[in-house]
Amino acid sequence: MKNKLLTFAIVAMMSCISGVVRAQNRTVTGKITNEQGTPLVATIAPKTTSNVATSSDESGLYSLSVPETVDSLIVNSIGYMTKTVVIRNNVADVQLQVDGNYNLDEVVVIGYGTQRKGDLTAPVATVNMENALKRTVSTPMDALQGAVTGVQIISSGAPGTTPTVRIRGVGSFNNESPLYVVDGMFMDNIDFLNPNDIADMSVLKDASGAAIYGVRAANGVIIVTTKRGSLNMKTKVTYNGYAGLHTPTNVLKMASGQQYADYAIAVGNKNIVDNSVSKFGGQDGRPTTNTDWYGELLRSNALIHNHNLDVQGGSEKISYSFGINYLDQDGIMDTENYHRKYNIRSQTEARVASWLKIGFTAHLNNFNAFAPNNAAFRQAYFASPLYPSYDPSLELADPIKFGSSTTLGMPSGFWFNNPLATAYYNHNETKGFQVLPSAYVEAEFWKKKLTFRSQLSQRYQSTHNIQYTPVYYIDNDQRSQRSYLRSAQARNNNYILDNLLTYRDETGKHHWSVLLGQSTREERWRETWVSANDVPQSEEFWYVGQGAQGTGSATGYGEGGFRNAGISFFTRGTYDFDNKYLLTATFRADGSSKYQTKWGYFPSLGIGWVLSREKFMENQSLFDLLKLRGSWGLLGNDGIQPNAGYAIVNSGNNFSGIFGSVGENNGVRVPGYRVGRFFTQVRWEVVEEWDAGLDFALLNNRLNGTVDYYYRKTKDLAFSRPIPFMWDRVYGNWGSVANSGWEIGLDWKDQVGQLDYNIGANITTLKNKVTDIGALANIMNGFPEWSAEFPARIEANQPINYYYGYEVAGVYQNTAEINSDPIATRYNQENPNSPILPGYLRYKDQNENGELDEADRINLGNYLPKLTYGFNVGLNYKNFDFSVAFQGVAGNKIHNLNRAMRRKYPQMNADAAFMEGLWNGEGSSNTYPSAAGSVAAWNLQASSFFVENGAYLRIQNMQLGYNFRVRESIPVRIFATADRPAIFTRYNGFTPEVSGMGFDSNVYPISSTYSLGLNVTF
Amino acid sequence: MKNLKYILISGFIGIAALHSSCEKFLDKPLENQQRSEEIDYSDLSLMYAPVSGVYRAAADDNLVHWIDLSIRCMRDDDFQQAAPNPNDNPELMGIKNFQNDVTIQSYWGLNQSWISYYSLAISVNNALMELDEFEKNIPSGNTEQLALNRQYKAEVRFLRAYAHLLASRIFGDVPILSDSGDIARLTTIGKSTVTQVREFIIDEMNACILDLEDARPNQSKHLGAVTKYSALLLKAKAAADLAANNNSSPYWDQVLEATDLIIDSEKFSLYGDYYNLFKRPGKLSNESLFELQYSDFGLATGDIVRPGVDWGTFFRWQGPSGNQRGSAISGAGWIPPSQNIVDFLNDRGDALRLKTTILEYGASEDTYAETPDGDRVYGNPFGIKYFNGKTYLPVDQMTEGRIEYGANNNVRILRYSDVLLLNAEAKVRKGQDGDAPFNLVRDRADLELLSNVTLEQILDERRAEFACEWWGERFNDLIRTGRAQQVFGSKFVPGQSEYVPIPQTQIDANSNFR
Repeated sequence: MKNKLLTFAIVAMMSCISGVVRAQNRTVTGKITNEQGTPLVATIAPKTTSNVATSSDESGLYSLSVPETVDSLIVNSIGYMTKTVVIRNNVADVQLQVDGNYNLDEVVVIGYGTQRKGDLTAPVATVNMENALKRTVSTPMDALQGAVTGVQIISSGAPGTTPTVRIRGVGSFNNESPLYVVDGMFMDNIDFLNPNDIADMSVLKDASGAAIYGVRAANGVIIVTTKRGSLNMKTKVTYNGYAGLHTPTNVLKMASGQQYADYAIAVGNKNIVDNSVSKFGGQDGRPTTNTDWYGELLRSNALIHNHNLDVQGGSEKISYSFGINYLDQDGIMDTENYHRKYNIRSQTEARVASWLKIGFTAHLNNFNAFAPNNAAFRQAYFASPLYPSYDPSLELADPIKFGSSTTLGMPSGFWFNNPLATAYYNHNETKGFQVLPSAYVEAEFWKKKLTFRSQLSQRYQSTHNIQYTPVYYIDNDQRSQRSYLRSAQARNNNYILDNLLTYRDETGKHHWSVLLGQSTREERWRETWVSANDVPQSEEFWYVGQGAQGTGSATGYGEGGFRNAGISFFTRGTYDFDNKYLLTATFRADGSSKYQTKWGYFPSLGIGWVLSREKFMENQSLFDLLKLRGSWGLLGNDGIQPNAGYAIVNSGNNFSGIFGSVGENNGVRVPGYRVGRFFTQVRWEVVEEWDAGLDFALLNNRLNGTVDYYYRKTKDLAFSRPIPFMWDRVYGNWGSVANSGWEIGLDWKDQVGQLDYNIGANITTLKNKVTDIGALANIMNGFPEWSAEFPARIEANQPINYYYGYEVAGVYQNTAEINSDPIATRYNQENPNSPILPGYLRYKDQNENGELDEADRINLGNYLPKLTYGFNVGLNYKNFDFSVAFQGVAGNKIHNLNRAMRRKYPQMNADAAFMEGLWNGEGSSNTYPSAAGSVAAWNLQASSFFVENGAYLRIQNMQLGYNFRVRESIPVRIFATADRPAIFTRYNGFTPEVSGMGFDSNVYPISSTYSLGLNVTF
Repeated sequence: MKNLKYILISGFIGIAALHSSCEKFLDKPLENQQRSEEIDYSDLSLMYAPVSGVYRAAADDNLVHWIDLSIRCMRDDDFQQAAPNPNDNPELMGIKNFQNDVTIQSYWGLNQSWISYYSLAISVNNALMELDEFEKNIPSGNTEQLALNRQYKAEVRFLRAYAHLLASRIFGDVPILSDSGDIARLTTIGKSTVTQVREFIIDEMNACILDLEDARPNQSKHLGAVTKYSALLLKAKAAADLAANNNSSPYWDQVLEATDLIIDSEKFSLYGDYYNLFKRPGKLSNESLFELQYSDFGLATGDIVRPGVDWGTFFRWQGPSGNQRGSAISGAGWIPPSQNIVDFLNDRGDALRLKTTILEYGASEDTYAETPDGDRVYGNPFGIKYFNGKTYLPVDQMTEGRIEYGANNNVRILRYSDVLLLNAEAKVRKGQDGDAPFNLVRDRADLELLSNVTLEQILDERRAEFACEWWGERFNDLIRTGRAQQVFGSKFVPGQSEYVPIPQTQIDANSNFR
């Protein structure tokens, strides 16, 4: 086999050489690209005669032998303006400009292949990587915020955290995030990539596009192709980098010391104020202490810098690309925390023979992250401003004299610890690396018609996490008597083997292609951890063996792991007639080890009609393109928990009772186990999706747009639902949910004198509705730990997980209002010890029975935005360019859980707006309760008081660039960027971007980034 | 076409190779998740394992959770309040004031209590299914193993019955969850009346008594497991609840009969040192009928089995709050004893029980009081004067190096003194002489002996003997004897104030709880 291949290679090379030798005339070579540098297939002919015309290959390369007399060539490519070039030096690289009348020949990356954009029947969004690169973000998906229709990205702002990505609403609880396919490897996120590594990103949103990924496609698919070189490409070296500062922005203003003191007195905790005055100064009721916990906890500026060096090139047989980049980002908490990573990427493709390509791509990621203890932010939200951050009078505090809330007579421990101490006594460092090698063979057995490709993609990841707590003392609850070390190592080991056979052919105006494929994959994860007390403080001794010498059982250990496997067979057929009538059909059979039903089948069908190519459209000049599309298909989701399907045995030390703890004896464990009996037979979660779309180009291609209507219904929606009697939830296929809406994207591009400008806008609407929850009347859900007090509810014909509670109709302003209200009168009669007072919330009696009861609870709104939008403006004037991007959402609600937590923690601080809004006398407020009322159970019920409008508009990115050339061949661009400089919202929290069900417990401030950057190519 | 060969070769080799092993490739069980089917039920040495698992569930959380504890006993007049700051969890003050409306109904703590007790019942149901599997593997002639199988089942059924007793004493009419194999049943099961729950307990105990070990718990094969006598006492308690204040109720016969059986076994005796009964030397004494066991295995650090989460264990939750300057004698300061119980004990000259039950804080945050064992307790910022001495474990009894309050102590639930006092009460109610059992209890408490004891004297003795214990015994005594309004005044409305409402979130999940 090897020998034969070698023979083939030699023969192929010989034939190439002989071709050169035979040349009598002069040979012109070159490369045809579009403005973006993407290679194009074009016909190249001498100006004087067309007998010797040739065409460029898929890398855009051509070679043409022409008589010496010919001095120029004509280059022609569908969708581009014809160009005449003069031949100099026998090399003619040609850049074609898009023909205003036609831009359909662009090749788009789709599942397991590529397709002409003009032939697509699916709405495939290609991400403008140039715009994405303008954003100074640490993860690539953050750069897409507000940029792509149908894609909602929710970013918490904390460094190194994965943003929530939703494509076309929520169709699953198991895994909202789409499938990422990075050079063929399936990934759950692409945080490890640097945006600079990416050449191409395609978002497959509908069934026609995504169903080829079968069981992983339900949440949409994002195909990422990293940068690669092309044949006969002059080596191109690019440096792109920036350095900047990020600074906390929109930091929620917390109540001041005086506000807190007034509040504490009003709710009957004057002792707290008195303690502050007597210990830290002030006069009666006016303590001088005013600790700004967020101010103390935050850095005003944290450094971020990112450097990227990219080399691409190619010879006749080999193309390569090599990239290295480094990101260093400090966190905004004023303590040790950072996120550093470097990536090395290498891609090589060799044309072994004219029909045989082999390639190898490898990504090496290395990262080191020091995670802050974000509990400190929660504590900063709760902490009273009336005690100092450092308190030298605390004799026992050691080694640092941190202040303690116990000095005020407040509890410490739990969320009332000193936030600075929590931040300081933290060491949580993760180091890791990941290697993603991928090798492929591609054989073109029948020129341009039949190709076989086999690719093995692997992922090896290894991480090591070390957590260490030193010995310290602040107060009785906030202390660590013994040092503690936990060391955990985890390994991921995945592979995918893909085998693809592609057949493409045409006769006359009929074009068709068939893809047959098979894929095998396996994912393994395993974690091992060990822990010990009494480990010395010096980092060199952080090995569990150094701990608790002599008391062997002081150490702990554990292991976790899983294995999932899948096998798939898939096919796709496309057919078009004259690029006018389009048809795409796909089918995938997926086998997964996670399900009791092993096999699932996922078909899809897409059709398209390019009206603008019809005769009857020939004589109009308005539309340059008009295309109708429609698709249907089934998609699967295997993000489901794999542990369903049988009773699980829990055994070991934590499930063994103690016996013999008699008198002075220490008890011992008698081995025990418990069985988790509640399980259901879980079926495949299947999404059925319909899509109808329209692509158009108007007014000489100045206006481009696409409009889609989608309807996706998730059947057998699998999730854990609460059951009576236990905290355990039972996992099963409990319902169906439908998401539908419109996606509209518009781009306008024109030129006024020397000013080029473009304006883009995208809008996505979403209507979410639960269609079925079986025999159940409803399912109560909610934020873990708070679901009993502040439930979310699932009910048929309503949006999923709406907030469920009482509607606030106002605030009782005076006793007369209370006495005239049946609810209040009745309540006060029954509860003379805790009556409703003026300044209490008035709930609407929905069933008008004169009593506040369970039937008065209603739908208070839902977390899914009805509208997601983005728009951007780009300007180009001479050497300057400027761009600005906005994004926002509307029509969603947020449950301000931070405020609602007062139900369990009445002594917590509050945001300044809350304090200022409190009712303090007749007519002062009709929305906020009084201070005393704010801690009364009556006002802490699930109600519309805690549900706020979640709409926002944000300036996502602004960038000003200046272009010049050091030398003719060395273009340089310098740029200044402001990322997330401003947000407009009425929401009373740190950020209106709340993931999950919209219960906002986020206390992490987001940050703006201001940076300067440089881009050089040579 | 030569090339075609390669297609076929390379393509099919790959696919065929994988496809042949395909089914096995997908059909592997999950890793690191042991299936119940893989338990070797024929290995009878494992038969106690599901039972041990249930004891652990009870000890971990189900019977000792800090908020359950607070709700369960706070209504007693033995306790001043729940949280040291009454603004903390304001619903708790509402519950103490017998408030009953929607604001209480949505209180998370009630939901936690409900779930704690019923999770234990479900753990028991699951363990019984396991024991059934073992039973199938016991040859019919092996009477010894069959008896053990029945004994083990009876042990967990005792725990299930006790969980139902607690649930019903708090929530009133509650479901009897004796079968939870089917999830659908959980969302449809209805409530049973208070009486039906007690009758269920009595029936269960009647069945269990036959199968349980005839031994004192600290003599049991699994040291500290419940025995026949634990079941007899639980039966007596359920019967006493049903007998209520009706002296002619036939249930008093059951109380008398059950307690007589325990007394006549002569296996039990009161622990001589009432003060140390609740401390390390008194763990699983000859007085204990049901106790949750814990251990720190004598280690200063590392492995420990404790009642609840580390910051909120049964003991720490009741330990003295305030700045205790690093002392192990510290905690959250919840459910402080009331002045009422202090006065009560003082007034009756009950010095030993006062010393044991009530410990004092320092007068201010900068001064300390000393415990009888010489540990210092500084004052707290809430102006709370007392903390519960029955959860106090002196530093010199702790494993050296540990600083966790109460570590390595057990949680006492049922004691022989309860048997004696119920026995005395049944006798007196039936017109017999209850002096003998009654005076055993008094004698141990260093009190003078009484003769011709009355019901009032017995009820007072019950209050003093079980003062500030954690099972709501005092409140239950007031309810069953109809004396609640007398004690709590008009805020207690008979027929309304006995129970807290079933949590709204449970009703939302099963409308039959409405």
